[in-house]
Amino acid sequence: MRNLFAFLYRHHVFFVFILLEIVAFGILIQSHHYQGSRFASSAQAWSGKVLEYFENSVDYFSLKKINHLLAEENAQLRNRISTSPISHKKNNALPHQYISAKVIKSSYNKRNNYLTLNKGRLNGIEKGMGVCVNEGVVGIVRDVTDNYATVMSVLNKHAVISSRFTKSNHFGEIVWDGKSHHFAQLRSVEKYVDVSIGDTLTTNSFSSIFPEGILLGTVNRFERDDSENFYKIEIDLSVDYSNIDYVYVIKNLHGKERLELESKLKEND
Amino acid sequence: MTKAFLHIKRFFILIGLQVIVLNNVQISGYLNPYIYILFIMLLPPKMPKALVLSLAFLTGFTVDVFENSYGIHAAASVFMAYVRPTVLSLVSVKGGEDLETIGIRQLRFARFFTYSGILCILHHFTLFYIEAFRLNEFIDTFVRALTSTVISLLIILLIESVRSNSHK
Repeated sequence: MRNLFAFLYRHHVFFVFILLEIVAFGILIQSHHYQGSRFASSAQAWSGKVLEYFENSVDYFSLKKINHLLAEENAQLRNRISTSPISHKKNNALPHQYISAKVIKSSYNKRNNYLTLNKGRLNGIEKGMGVCVNEGVVGIVRDVTDNYATVMSVLNKHAVISSRFTKSNHFGEIVWDGKSHHFAQLRSVEKYVDVSIGDTLTTNSFSSIFPEGILLGTVNRFERDDSENFYKIEIDLSVDYSNIDYVYVIKNLHGKERLELESKLKEND
Repeated sequence: MTKAFLHIKRFFILIGLQVIVLNNVQISGYLNPYIYILFIMLLPPKMPKALVLSLAFLTGFTVDVFENSYGIHAAASVFMAYVRPTVLSLVSVKGGEDLETIGIRQLRFARFFTYSGILCILHHFTLFYIEAFRLNEFIDTFVRALTSTVISLLIILLIESVRSNSHK
């Protein structure tokens, strides 16, 4: 027994090293699971406060730009109301609710990028909600605390956004290879699909996260390799990730109902 | 007591510089400097190794929380702290046991450059490969880690030369 203690003591540095590495990798692996709370996230109250404090101090410099963007968006919305009489009728049955939030921290040059928002659970934000700006999709809510939330950006190796071509309705998945924040890749588009440069991609109705028809980007370049079944397509993302100040979090009011129904299907299989 | 205070002050300054300034300067995906590791590099050689490992974990974890990187900075920092004594024995005769503190003034520029260079390379390559975790991005990750190492090392040497000059 004494030998054992002597052994442990002699190599205690190594054991501390192994232990700490296990904890670190534990945090990393746990973060891949959708369920489970993640305490190592900037949605934590203390880190959120620090980030918010510094974001507020540089806020004034972007007010002019934000004003301009809001005015433009207002004009667009007015146009949409006046051109589509249908939306008036359906107004009461809209399945989505939008919550506006301010970005207090964002990155776009890492392999895995996240945004931190200044609103959280108390404002109705929940894990798994979609996040967009006027120009298109930004990402999906990852962690929520009472007053803050983190968003997994499209610029992340774990993000897969399902999309469709507006002209042909064909399906494809948007992923990011980590190289440029202007471009993402589109996969699972089969070879028989007619693709041309400039084609628009929007969200589809497969997922309950985003409403149908939110802009994702346009085809920038594509390749058709005869040895493979799918196209290689590069997408010019519509959102400028280097420049996001305010976002909308999308709450799907029928989401729960839909998920319940779909999980029943899986049980029956 | 004053020495402990010095390290605590250094911790806050370096973490603050990292999280508030450097993490917001986003020039390109190939230039991600991480200079908070200077805090671990400058810990006294005589400090118990288990304590150095724990402080490295704490430092990395703090950066992780602000970066939303879930443990990767903690893992890379702990690894760097674990190999630190070995690297230290490369640049000093008695493995640093005779030194009270580490810095450009104690080691001279060439040896401090070797010391911080090796540690910076090990830390950054561990970090970027854990982050990518994909072999098909091997070359791209390699370039990212290399360019970021160069810029980190430049900033670290700059800070360290200013710091050691001001202490005279």
